[in-house]
Amino acid sequence: MEDKLENSIMGKIKTGQVKIRSKYVFVAEKLGLGTAFALSVLLSVLLFNLILFYLKETDNLKYLSFGKFGIFAFLESFPYLLVVVFIVLIVLSGYLITKSDVSYKKPFGYLAIGLVLFIMIFGGVLTYTNLGREFEARAREGMTPARMLLQPMTDMRNSGVAGIVFEEGEDYLILQTPQGLRNINLEGLKDLPKMEKGQFVIAVGKKDGYDFKVEKIKVMDKNDIPAIGRGIESKFNPLSDEKIPSDLLYFDKIERDCVKKCLDSEKEKKTCFEECRK
Amino acid sequence: MEQSSDEQIVIAILEGDKDLYREIIKRYEIKLSRYLRKFIADKDDIEDILQVVFIKAYKNLYGFDIKKKFSSWIYRIAHNEAINNLKKIKGNRVSLDDVEYKLIDEKADIKGEADRKFLKHDVEKAIGCLKPKYREPIVLFYLEEMSYEEISDVLRIPKNTVGTLILRGKNLIKDNLEEINKKHGR
Repeated sequence: MEDKLENSIMGKIKTGQVKIRSKYVFVAEKLGLGTAFALSVLLSVLLFNLILFYLKETDNLKYLSFGKFGIFAFLESFPYLLVVVFIVLIVLSGYLITKSDVSYKKPFGYLAIGLVLFIMIFGGVLTYTNLGREFEARAREGMTPARMLLQPMTDMRNSGVAGIVFEEGEDYLILQTPQGLRNINLEGLKDLPKMEKGQFVIAVGKKDGYDFKVEKIKVMDKNDIPAIGRGIESKFNPLSDEKIPSDLLYFDKIERDCVKKCLDSEKEKKTCFEECRK
Repeated sequence: MEQSSDEQIVIAILEGDKDLYREIIKRYEIKLSRYLRKFIADKDDIEDILQVVFIKAYKNLYGFDIKKKFSSWIYRIAHNEAINNLKKIKGNRVSLDDVEYKLIDEKADIKGEADRKFLKHDVEKAIGCLKPKYREPIVLFYLEEMSYEEISDVLRIPKNTVGTLILRGKNLIKDNLEEINKKHGR
C-alpha cells in the first residue's frame, strides 16, 4: 500500500496533474480575511457610536419616561435597521475571528467578550467626536446609507411627537417638528404643564389625520433632545448653513426677507437674526 | 535529507525540489494511516483519504506557516478529511492496536486475566462510543503521542480545552468499560 500510494502521488506531482497553489493565493486570502475583519470591526464601532448617538440625542428613549403610555412611541422610533446591521457585523467579526490562525489558542468566549468590549469602548470614545452629527446631517440630505440607518429619526411618528411650541392655544398647540408644523390637540387633558412659545415639548398619543391627539405631554430642556432641535433648525431655517441657537429660529415672511437682505450686506448671521427679530 | 526537519524539507520543496515530497509521504504515511484508522474502519476509504490528504498538503504548501510544526499542520488536514468522511458515513467503527491498552486508566478497576480476553474488544467499544470531540484528543495524545500544544494546533482548540477533553474522555471510557463489565456480569 505504502509504495503504491507514494508512487501514485509522486506520479501526479511529476506529470503536473497536481501543482502547488501560488503563494499569492494565500497572501490574497490572508489579506482579504484581515481586511474584512478590520472593516467589520470598524463598522461595528461606528454603528455602536451611532446607536449611542441616536439614543442620547433623539426623542426615542425620552418616550419611556411616560411609562406604559410611551412604549409604542419608543418602539416606533427605535432604530431597528441600525441595531440589526450592528448585530450582523458583530456576528461577522466573530466568525472572521474563528477563521484566523491564532483564534483557537484562546477560548472563543474570551475573544468574543474582548471584541464586544473593544467595540463598546471605542464606540463610546467616538461619542466625543462630531461623527454622529455628521451622519445626522447626511441623513437629512437625502437617501444616503446614513438616512437608511437613522430613518426613524427623520420619520413622522404615529404615537409620539417632539418639537418646539410655535403657537399655544387653550386646547391646542402648534409645534415645530423636524417634519414641519403639527397641530397638537390637547382637548380633555387635565393638569397640563405650563407651555410657552419656544419651549421644547414631547408628547405621546395618537396621530389623528393631520393632528396629533395627546395623552401625555411634558416640557423638556432643549439639551435633552438636541437632534430634534437640529431637525427643526434644518426644516425651518434653510438660510443658515451653520449652527444657530434654536431660539432664533422663528421667522415670518417679513423677518425672512429681512435676514436675506442683511446677509447680502455681509453682516454676521447672528447679528442679522437678532436685528430682524426686533 | 533524512536528517532534515519536516520544515526544512518543505522549504526545499517550495524552492523547487518537488521530488523531496516523497520524503514527507514516507514520514507521514504510516502515522496518518494509523491516525485515520481510529475514525474510519474501511481500509480502502483510509487509502483514499490518505491520498487526498497528501495531495491537499502538497497543493497548499504555501499555506503552511514555516514557523509552526509541519506535523500539526498535516494532521490538521487529515483530521478535517476524517471529519468530512465521518459526516458522509454514519455508524463508523473504530479499530484498535495493541498499544491502545495503555488508554485504560489504572483506576478502572479492571483486573484479572479473564478480563483481559475481553479487554481489546471492550476498549474498542468504549472508545467507539465516545463522541469524536473526546475521541480525537485521546487518540492524538495516547496513540500519536502528541503534546497538548500540538493537539491544540491540530484540533484548533485551546490547550486547556485539550486537557479537559482528555480527562473527560478518560472518565467516559472508564464509565463505558464499567457499564460493559456490568452488562457481562464481570
